[in-house]
Amino acid sequence: MAEITNSFEFRQCVSILKSTGKKARNLHELRDAISAVSDESIFHHTYQYFLKGHILEYTNDFAHWAGESLEERALSEQLSNIDPYDFKNISDLRNKLIEVIDNYLGQFPEPREAMRGDEFCFNETVTLIFPVGTRAKNLAEFLTAIKYIDAGSIYYHFYEARMRLGGGIDDFSRWIEDYLQKKELAEKIRAIDPFMHTIEEIRTHIVETVEEEVKKDMEVVSRCLTSI
Amino acid sequence: MFDQYLGISPKSDLLLLQMLGEKLHKRSFLHVSSTREGGGVAEILQRMIPMFTEIGIQARWEIIEGDTKFFNITKKIHNAMQGNPERITKKMWDYHYEINGKNADKLDLEADAVLIHDPQPAPLIEFKKSGLWMWRCHIDVSNPKKEVSDYLCRYCEKYTAAIFSVAKFARKMGIDEFIVSPSIDPVSEKNRELTDEEINKTLNKFQIPTNRPIILQVSRFDRFKDPIGVIKAYRIVKKYNDCILILAGSPATDDPEGEIVLNEVKECAANDPDIYILLLPPFSDKDINALQRVAAVVLQKSLKEGFGLTVSESMWKGKPVIGGAVGGIPLQIIHGVTGFLVHSIEGAAFRTRQLLNNIEMAKRIGENGREYVRKNFLITRQIRDYLGVWYIMENKGRSIIEI
Repeated sequence: MAEITNSFEFRQCVSILKSTGKKARNLHELRDAISAVSDESIFHHTYQYFLKGHILEYTNDFAHWAGESLEERALSEQLSNIDPYDFKNISDLRNKLIEVIDNYLGQFPEPREAMRGDEFCFNETVTLIFPVGTRAKNLAEFLTAIKYIDAGSIYYHFYEARMRLGGGIDDFSRWIEDYLQKKELAEKIRAIDPFMHTIEEIRTHIVETVEEEVKKDMEVVSRCLTSI
Repeated sequence: MFDQYLGISPKSDLLLLQMLGEKLHKRSFLHVSSTREGGGVAEILQRMIPMFTEIGIQARWEIIEGDTKFFNITKKIHNAMQGNPERITKKMWDYHYEINGKNADKLDLEADAVLIHDPQPAPLIEFKKSGLWMWRCHIDVSNPKKEVSDYLCRYCEKYTAAIFSVAKFARKMGIDEFIVSPSIDPVSEKNRELTDEEINKTLNKFQIPTNRPIILQVSRFDRFKDPIGVIKAYRIVKKYNDCILILAGSPATDDPEGEIVLNEVKECAANDPDIYILLLPPFSDKDINALQRVAAVVLQKSLKEGFGLTVSESMWKGKPVIGGAVGGIPLQIIHGVTGFLVHSIEGAAFRTRQLLNNIEMAKRIGENGREYVRKNFLITRQIRDYLGVWYIMENKGRSIIEI
């Protein structure tokens, strides 16, 4: 099989955390701050939650705080159910978060205060993007690389790319479709739900899917050789 | 030196470090602190400075000098910033400023980037000549005495940026505020791999038997570390599992309460032959390392904590750690994944029993903990972040930067 000239260059992002100085002690303050903080802050507390090696008890920092610090379990579940990848932009996501909190406050207008020292701290990040020095020229090389690259690289290409490229597309599937011409494989990778998995689980799913394809390719090659 | 971290630190951290080193090549980076020996700041700077140099940055580390009067004042400021009631008079603040001025005359403060560590040298900003000045706060300032904090902030606000260890320690100062967690050095005497012979030497020195599981807490004898609570938790566990408790710590000579707490601990232990109270002299890093490596379960049952790096130290050794849910401990322990967070003596006892009775769970949590520390709390990540902050400040206003 001819090698593809447009190789996949693995990149990675590292986020340096910044404090906005804003804190919330209760749901009213949380709601007001969510409506006022920067897009970067909303992005950090929702999309970047997946960078933290979490267990899927919660899916964003707001749900985490509501569940753990305020013990508002129902609200925590509602916030956890917000899939950031369903929204076209941060503004829509922000409005959804506010809507969910407002509805909850409508039912329970006097929520409890967080313990002192357990306030919600609004942060944001500055992201540094850099190449990790790994390139894949074909699917077999891609398979080897995906097994060993840092989780931060998978985050960049699989999660962060969705915001960058839009339309639920990630870097991996785009390369596989555009340069390897494997539309079916690209669709299988696109079908892996980023919201329902940790980064390591995403890695496992991609490895399994690609491995299957590489085996299929090898069988084709070996069948061709046998026929010769 | 850099090579020592290959295969230990995440490859991407080392790569980014080198790239930032290239971007900031031959630029000067000055660190100023108040002591060259003792304490976590000095310990980590001793290791960091040669690494900055190795990646092409002209790093220097200067120390401010002062008399006893100056350091008594800065101790009071330090305590007040951590929430203790202290009265700092105008005269004291003036003396704090005056001594910093004298240091500014003597020190070469010219550098492309200057990182001033903690409140002692904070007034040096008044003598800034050029460069990017950043203030690094290593202490827990989540609940400071307002009057003292407000006065100190007059200096801090003049910096271009501030760096805190934990987000909740930051306060709105009108400057860029970054969060950089502290770190451990995996190749230092306290954390490097030890041979069986080295471990046995420590065990023999303290006459510690290894025929039963060991529960360990390494901390100063300080009420905030709750050593009495640890003994009570051990007593609950002991009803079900035969085990040994080691409380290892320094005598804390600078703390007048240290001796009182130590006597209380001894009294509470009541000559139980299975409780080992070890008073370790300074520079006992290898012994601490060995004790952490033989423990079955490590406790850090603090009631108040700055960051609590002993948690990361034990996690790095693959040990399951049970920590109080205070200070920086929840940043290191993801409950049920990299350890257990507890809020009571009973909680500490229950989790200890759970880990002693479920070796597989202890092993899994220990492995998760080590990997979590590898990714988040090694010195290479902290150096990466310092250089990252410097580079970000040079590209101010951008939230995404391509290197």
